[in-house]
Amino acid sequence: MAVRGPELVGRRFSSVQQNSVTSASIEAFARAIGASSEIVPPTYLITFSISAAEEFLPTLDFDWSRVVHGDQRFHHHRPVCVGDLLTATSEIENYKSLAGNEFVTIRTDFHESVDNSLVASTWSTLVFRGESA
Amino acid sequence: MTFLLNQELPEKIFYVNRQKLKDYADASGDQNPIHQDEAYAQSVGLPNVIAHGMYTMALAGEAIRSWTGDRRNILEFATRFNKPIVVPAEIDVAIVFTGKVSEVSATEMTVEVAALCDGVKVLGQTKARIQL
Repeated sequence: MAVRGPELVGRRFSSVQQNSVTSASIEAFARAIGASSEIVPPTYLITFSISAAEEFLPTLDFDWSRVVHGDQRFHHHRPVCVGDLLTATSEIENYKSLAGNEFVTIRTDFHESVDNSLVASTWSTLVFRGESA
Repeated sequence: MTFLLNQELPEKIFYVNRQKLKDYADASGDQNPIHQDEAYAQSVGLPNVIAHGMYTMALAGEAIRSWTGDRRNILEFATRFNKPIVVPAEIDVAIVFTGKVSEVSATEMTVEVAALCDGVKVLGQTKARIQL
């Protein structure tokens, strides 16, 4: 059964996908933001956060037509490199309801598949706008 | 390059338009129609197509790169999305980024970034912790 509200906090989701960091995917992302592809752009991991989120977010009972992005944070424990194979594990870390809007914060941890070391974590807060907002 | 506490980092302007939003959607995988389809955006109560918050954040990352040089590692990078950036058809919308060094040590520094669109602060509490 679909769950929403404060009881969402602590729910965890392991993505079945292996996220492969390729020079082609870095180039495509860098080109779209007008960046050099010689470094990995600091927001590059969002591409994997989105695909991980797409696996579990539809199971949550929200009105997806009313979602906007509230805030975003990246914490890199080491640089992301071509050849990395990253697994994504997500957890709903926070939920609040304020003035008719709902705020859901999702943390996603990216581990290198080979040695299971933590490469980076991302935090995304999604805001579901109430009908009057 | 040395950085000093409270050093102001020069204005960097990027222009956003509908084509760039489409390119960003394709590259990032975020195909939410509020970033591409005017009729859809208005049907869910938005004034028009709005830019992906993450596209604006990516441009803030590019502004930081322009200030610090290519090879710096960004250890942490965070922002709030305060106001949507409305992108009407056939228009290039300017986003003006400025920065300031708010902490600096021998090994790392923190840069605070401001982003203005039409005089409105579109990002809030934008900070990057950068390895030196």
